[in-house]
Amino acid sequence: MSNLPDQANCEREERLEHVWANLPGWGALAAVNHTSVGLRFMATGMVFFLIGGVLAMLIRTQLALPEQEIIGASVYNQIFTMHGTVMMFLFAIPVLEGAAMYLVPKMLGTRDLVFPRLSALGYYCYLFGGVIILSSLVFEIAPDAGWFMYTPLSSHTYSPGPGSDFWLLGITFVEISAISAGVELVVSILRTRANGMSLNKMPIFCWYILAMALMIVFGFPPLILGSVLLELERAAGFVFFETVGGGDPLLWQHLFWLFGHPEVYIIFLPAAGIVSTLIPVFARHPLVGYRWIVLGIITMGFISFGLWVHHMFTVGIPQMAQAFFSVASMLVAIPTAIQIFAWLATLWQGKVVYHLPMLWIIGFLVVFVCGGLTGVMLALVPFNWQVHDTHFVVAHMHYVLVGGMLFPLIAGFYYWLPHVSGRMPSDKMGRWGFWLFFGGFNVTFLLMHLTGLLGMPRRIYTYEAGLGWDWLNLVSSIGGFIMAIGVAVIIVDIVLHFRFGRRAEQNPWCADTLEWAIPMPVNAYNFSSLPNITTRHPMWENPELIESIAAGEHGLAEVQNVRRDIYGSDAVTGKVREVVHLPTNSWLPLLTAVVLAVVCISLLIKAYPVALAAALLALVLVLRWGWDNCAHPRAAPVREDDPVDPPLHSRTCDGPGLWGMVVSLMANGTLYVSLLFGWFYLWTAAPQWSSPEQGRVALIPMAMSGVLLSLAVMIYRNAVAGLRKGQADGLTLKLWAAAALGLVHWCVLIWILQTSELQPTELAHDAVLMVALYYLLLHSGLAVIFTILQALRVKLGYVGPELPYEPVVIQPFWVYTFGVFWLSFAAFLLLPMAWGA
Amino acid sequence: MMKPSPFHPLNLVLGLIIWALWFVLLYGGLSVGCAFAPPGAEAGAWTWINAVSLALALFVSGYLLVCAYGCWKASPPSHAVEVEPIKTFTSKTSAAVYLVSALASLALGLPGILLPPCV
Repeated sequence: MSNLPDQANCEREERLEHVWANLPGWGALAAVNHTSVGLRFMATGMVFFLIGGVLAMLIRTQLALPEQEIIGASVYNQIFTMHGTVMMFLFAIPVLEGAAMYLVPKMLGTRDLVFPRLSALGYYCYLFGGVIILSSLVFEIAPDAGWFMYTPLSSHTYSPGPGSDFWLLGITFVEISAISAGVELVVSILRTRANGMSLNKMPIFCWYILAMALMIVFGFPPLILGSVLLELERAAGFVFFETVGGGDPLLWQHLFWLFGHPEVYIIFLPAAGIVSTLIPVFARHPLVGYRWIVLGIITMGFISFGLWVHHMFTVGIPQMAQAFFSVASMLVAIPTAIQIFAWLATLWQGKVVYHLPMLWIIGFLVVFVCGGLTGVMLALVPFNWQVHDTHFVVAHMHYVLVGGMLFPLIAGFYYWLPHVSGRMPSDKMGRWGFWLFFGGFNVTFLLMHLTGLLGMPRRIYTYEAGLGWDWLNLVSSIGGFIMAIGVAVIIVDIVLHFRFGRRAEQNPWCADTLEWAIPMPVNAYNFSSLPNITTRHPMWENPELIESIAAGEHGLAEVQNVRRDIYGSDAVTGKVREVVHLPTNSWLPLLTAVVLAVVCISLLIKAYPVALAAALLALVLVLRWGWDNCAHPRAAPVREDDPVDPPLHSRTCDGPGLWGMVVSLMANGTLYVSLLFGWFYLWTAAPQWSSPEQGRVALIPMAMSGVLLSLAVMIYRNAVAGLRKGQADGLTLKLWAAAALGLVHWCVLIWILQTSELQPTELAHDAVLMVALYYLLLHSGLAVIFTILQALRVKLGYVGPELPYEPVVIQPFWVYTFGVFWLSFAAFLLLPMAWGA
Repeated sequence: MMKPSPFHPLNLVLGLIIWALWFVLLYGGLSVGCAFAPPGAEAGAWTWINAVSLALALFVSGYLLVCAYGCWKASPPSHAVEVEPIKTFTSKTSAAVYLVSALASLALGLPGILLPPCV
């Protein structure tokens, strides 16, 4: 640590800028920096928001008067489906992920997210997936079965066009982005906080994002599985959701809402994080009940997974099962209420300054509480039956989602705008925008509750006059257009502020969190030096941090060996444990996303050989991406001046990569558990479930194949155990042996698959079994490839007793592969035999 | 039953993980019970399924309450300056999480008092 003279400090910062900056010109497409990627997510999300908004205006235009034919039924179906799809999948989640990606490292006092190339890949998957989905609208072949794609309406029989395929493949593509962001954020929050930032000193926003990211990790895989199964049914005729053959359309509803209801909270939590961040700032008072709010966040994160069936109260589920979900739906109001009371208490204790962002927060409190109350009404089964699929539900949903997400998001935009632009927004225009939006919103949706109670179903493209809905729809449509004018005013305000806005002073809102300690507009590396944190409110209690950070008085002030370095810290105490060296700008994320887009488009046009070739190419690109890690000359080759206290993360056994692998396997495991759920669900609930009298899969070869896998795992674990002790005796040999055994196991699996007599187009039983076998094949194959690469890297000197990092990261993958194999063996083969099913 | 030290961060989620497993067991068990050995509708709520679910609800909630008490009791007083604040934070928050989990687990079992299981 040093207090450098100005000239030396400028030169030091130039070196930081040189290492952390994006490439110039088109090279910016290779950027992996979290600031660039986060802003791209948000900008792209806002474009999708405007498109979704235009679709909403078309809906309101059509419904403004009875018996209109401005839009026909078919196009109307496409429009409302795409409105929901765009808003939920292409706007709400990505824009919040972008905000989290932009803010989290800055709040944690670090320079970047921990897997920067993953962020960039996620962005491009999102962009390309979104463009693919929207292109269907341009060609008038958009999905038209509603944004939750219920079967059998979305099946090949009732939706023979490519619309549903666009949805299923496009959304799955976009979800790669969501899960990569989820993994990225979890590991970054847990492992890269500033020195001393223990969990109890972490900004409350990061608690919300941690919960959101974990919910993405567990919430999205069921829909990915459902989408894969439905696409297999549509494209290849596999049986999963068709009753004939032993499928069940309700399985889709379960898989969709297993994702869909947590998604509401995935959207709400970061928005609530914005509220919990802004209220103390404008109340000039620390957040009341920090620990209570953490309790509320954790509780909400879990209980929100127990509500999904309340979307299915009318499908014929037994009363007691409905009651479980009704109880859980009411329980979730309690952690929400804890947060609302904490916010009110903070406002009560403080002296509130009503700047523009605070206006949006007040709007949020009013609208969201109303939405929450109608949510409690809908949790009651008898009431739910009465208003199911009416405009009451549409009104409730918009109160919760717009109130719970958009109001705080706009508050956050206004709040952090100076951070991005260095300028302040116009207070006058901003207030106009707020009142137009707030008024228009309530005019549109408050009355819609009544429209629903009067019986108007959702998703009808027109209605007869004289049913009592006429004036309500007209006023709702007028409100919709007022709201649209409000959006236009806000956009104009934001655009103009970049040119005419007043220059913002440092920390213009007198905030308490670290992101305001860095220069505005923000630079590429955030912090010129990485501070120690001793309080939950660093900018209130240590305002001199702005100067001391800029002067290089804290950690990692100097660039070492042209590397992008940040601190890795203990997940609980926040004490520094290692120096994490991050990858620099890379074209690989963009190339990989382009190739994945080719996979997606090839599947859409049913060019399967091209899809297979592109998928293999994507795998090669990902492996190429992993090749440049750790001690590779392009990453952090072993040097004499390598830091030892703390060491570089690639010289340790517990670096962020291991955490990333474990979190990824949590997502993977959720997908597998969803498949198991589907298996048991169809087995117990499908009306025409049947299983073949003779087992379709050769049991003994399968068991022998499992023995080979088990041996491979044992040898691999033995090799890693030696590495952990600093021993490398026979390391290469052990890795080759594990790979060889894994390869033989994989070949036996292939043989079993080829010789089995599975009839996936006839029986759901066989279709699920085939998916399970392919799942096992994929994992075993990847484990073998990873291990062969490790053996090669040992030979090249990138892995060894001093460099144990990579084999340790891969070990959980082997263990997971072993676990799912034997679990599958028991659940898919042994259990049905024992039960005689 | 093994459980981590009251200061281990796993406690922050363990109670709700138990709640989630209990929920899965309850919902899955009900489905399997109704599929393979459904009690008659005329029995109302007085069935073996309801009895088992209520007994399990009491057991799970009781266990979670014990965990909550353990974490709370182990929490150092806030004014104890020699104690790391993170320990107080973890143990007290965990105690609250266990308590909430216990109440939520019990609430899930309550419909068994009133409703027939398979109708």
